Amino acid sequence: MRKFFPVEDLARDERFNQATNAERMADTRGTSNTGVIRKARSTNRLTPARPDATDAARSLMHGIMVGEIQALEGAGRTCFDFVTGEEAPFELKLDMARQCWDEARHVEISVKLSEWMGTELGQFVENTVLFAAACSQDPVLRLAGVNRALEGLAIDVFTTMKEFGELAGDPYLAFCEDWMLADEVTHVKMGSVWLRKITENDPERRAKALEFQSVVDKIFSYGGLRSESDESPILLARRFRELAGFSDGELSEIADVSLAALNERREALEKTFATSPA
Amino acid sequence: MADPFKARNPFAPWDRRELPGMFDVEETARRVGHYKWAEMKLFEVLGGWIATVPEIDVKLRLGTHCYKHAWHAELWHNRLPELREMNPERLTCPPNDAMVRFVAALTEPEAPEMTIEKLVGVYRVFIPHFISAYTFHLNNTSQITDGPTSRSIKFILQDEFDDWRDGEMLIQSLLTTPAEVKRASEHQARLEILLIEAGGIAGPGTIGSADVE
Amino acid sequence: MKVTVEPSIFSIVKYDADEIAGVAKEMLTLLGMKSTNLTIEVDETVAMSRVTTTMGDPVHVLAMSSAFENLRKPRTFSADNTKFSLGRGLLRVRDRLTGNFSDAPVDEDLSIVEAATWETYCVGRLSRLGLKVHKQRWHYNFRNRHGFNDATDKHFETIWESDDLTWSQLTEISRHAIA
Repeated sequence: MRKFFPVEDLARDERFNQATNAERMADTRGTSNTGVIRKARSTNRLTPARPDATDAARSLMHGIMVGEIQALEGAGRTCFDFVTGEEAPFELKLDMARQCWDEARHVEISVKLSEWMGTELGQFVENTVLFAAACSQDPVLRLAGVNRALEGLAIDVFTTMKEFGELAGDPYLAFCEDWMLADEVTHVKMGSVWLRKITENDPERRAKALEFQSVVDKIFSYGGLRSESDESPILLARRFRELAGFSDGELSEIADVSLAALNERREALEKTFATSPA
Repeated sequence: MADPFKARNPFAPWDRRELPGMFDVEETARRVGHYKWAEMKLFEVLGGWIATVPEIDVKLRLGTHCYKHAWHAELWHNRLPELREMNPERLTCPPNDAMVRFVAALTEPEAPEMTIEKLVGVYRVFIPHFISAYTFHLNNTSQITDGPTSRSIKFILQDEFDDWRDGEMLIQSLLTTPAEVKRASEHQARLEILLIEAGGIAGPGTIGSADVE
Repeated sequence: MKVTVEPSIFSIVKYDADEIAGVAKEMLTLLGMKSTNLTIEVDETVAMSRVTTTMGDPVHVLAMSSAFENLRKPRTFSADNTKFSLGRGLLRVRDRLTGNFSDAPVDEDLSIVEAATWETYCVGRLSRLGLKVHKQRWHYNFRNRHGFNDATDKHFETIWESDDLTWSQLTEISRHAIA
C-alpha cells in the first residue's frame, strides 16, 4: 500500500457520488435571500422555524456523515503515512488511532440519525474537501487543517444541530449531537496540543501550519455557511471552541474570515440574480 | 462476625497462583518489545486501509479495531520501563527479518477490490498469531511476579477475540464463490509461510515447543 | 393538456425543457388531470426543492431548481425527482379543483405546519400510485412540525393512509396531532 493516498482514490460503494470543492464552488446557485425564499424566512440560521428546515437538516446530516467518513479515513492515514518517531511521535499516532475509533462511532451515529430523518446513504453528493485537507505531507499541517479547522467547524455544526433537535423536540438528534460535540472538542484539543508541542522550536513550521489552517477555515466558510451572522445556517460556537483551546484572538480571526466569506457569497449571488433572465 | 485479628493465610484456599514462571525480566521485556512493534504495525496498516476499502461496514470496523491495537501498543510501551528498559524504543523491534517481510506482505494490498486479502491477512493470520502468542505468555509467566503483564494480556486477549470474531464474520460475508475462497486461502497460506519463517510474533519460541524433549 | 416550460434553455442547470414537459404530461395523466394546462417556471438560480402552484388556466407552477435535480450529481436532471416534486404540487392543484379545499390558503401563504400536513396527504397518495417514496422522510417532516410522540405518529398514519380528506378534516387532524 502506498504512503499518501490521493483524494481521487477514496473508496466508496456504488451509492456514493463524490464532487471536489472546485465543482461545489462552480455551482453559483443560492439557497437563501432570494425572492420567495426571502419572503418565507427571517433568518438563514438552521432552526425548525425555517420552511425548508427538515430537508436542510437532512442534507446537513448527510454532509456530517460523509464528513465523518473522511475524518475517519484522514486520521487512519496519519497512523500509516508517517514513520513513528522520525516523522510523527508515537503518542500522536495513538491520538490519531483514538480519533479513528471516535470517527467510526460518529459515522455509525450519523447513519442511524440519517435513517431516523428519512435519508438514504449516498442520497446527496459527497464533497471530498475534508479528506483533501488531510493529504498534506506534513503531519502538523494535517493537525492544523483537520483537527483545528475542520473539527472546529464540526463543533459549530454540532452545536447548531443540537439546538435544532432541542427546539424541534427531537429526542435522538439533541442527544446524539451532544455526544459527538464532546468528542469533537477533544479532537480539536488534540490538534492544539500537538501543534504547539511539535512546533515549539520551529516558528516557521508553526506559521505555515497556522496559515494552512486559515486557508481551510476560509474554504469551509465558503458561501457564508458558518459565521456569527443570522444569514449563516451555522453559528460560530464560541463557548465550545474556547473549551477546545481556541484563544480569543483566534476566534476573532475565524469570525472575520467567516464574515468575509459571507460577504463574498452575497456579492456573487447578487451577480447571478442580476444576470439571470428571470 | 469473624474475629478480625485471627491469623489468615495470605493466599486464600481458592487462590492457586504460583511463583515459578518461564520468563525472567529480560525475556519478558524482549517479548513485550516485539508485541509492541507488532501491535504498532497492525494499527498503522488498519488505519491506512480505511480509505482503501469501499465496503462501509468494513471501513468502520477497521477504524474501531485500529484504536484497540494502538491501545495495546500503548500498554506495552508503558510496560517496558517497568521491565528495566528505560529506552522503550530499543526493544520496539521485530524479532527478525522474516517478521519484517511478513508485515510488508500483509500491508501490500491496496486496491479497493482486495478487501478479502486485507481482512484475511489480519483476521485469519495476524490476530490468530497474537492470540496464540499472548495465550502462551499468559499461561507460562509467573502468576505473581509478572502480574502487570498478565493483567494487560487479559484485557488485550478480550479485544483480540472480539475483533477476530468481527473480522471472521466480515470475511465469511465477503466469500461468496469458490474463486473467492481460493483467493482467501492462497493469501492466507502465503502469509502463514512467512510467519512460520519468523517463528511467530516474538520470533522462534513464541508459543514454546510441543515436541517431547 | 398543454405544458410550457420556462426558460426554454437553461444556463445554470443542465435541464431540458422538453424533458420536463414530458414528465409533467406523464404526471398529469397519472393523476387524472389530462384537461389541466400548465406553465412550469423553473428558478435555476435557487438550489432548493420548493414547488408552489397558482390556480388558473394554465396553472402556474414555480419550481426551485433542486425540485428537478439529481441530488447525487448537482445541476443534473432527475426524472424521478421531477415526477415526485410535480406530483406533490399537482395533487394540491387537484385537491383545490374538487372544491373541498376552497378554504385552504394559497401555496405561498401556507404555514409550515399546514404545508407539512398537506405534503403528508399528497405523498401518501403518490406512494399508492406507485411512485418510489421514502416514507420516513415525510414522517420526520411531520414530527418536526407536530411533535415527537406516539400520538403524533398515529395522526401521521391517518393522513398518510387517506384518499378523500377535505381541507377542514386535514387541519383538524393536524390540530389534534399538535395537542
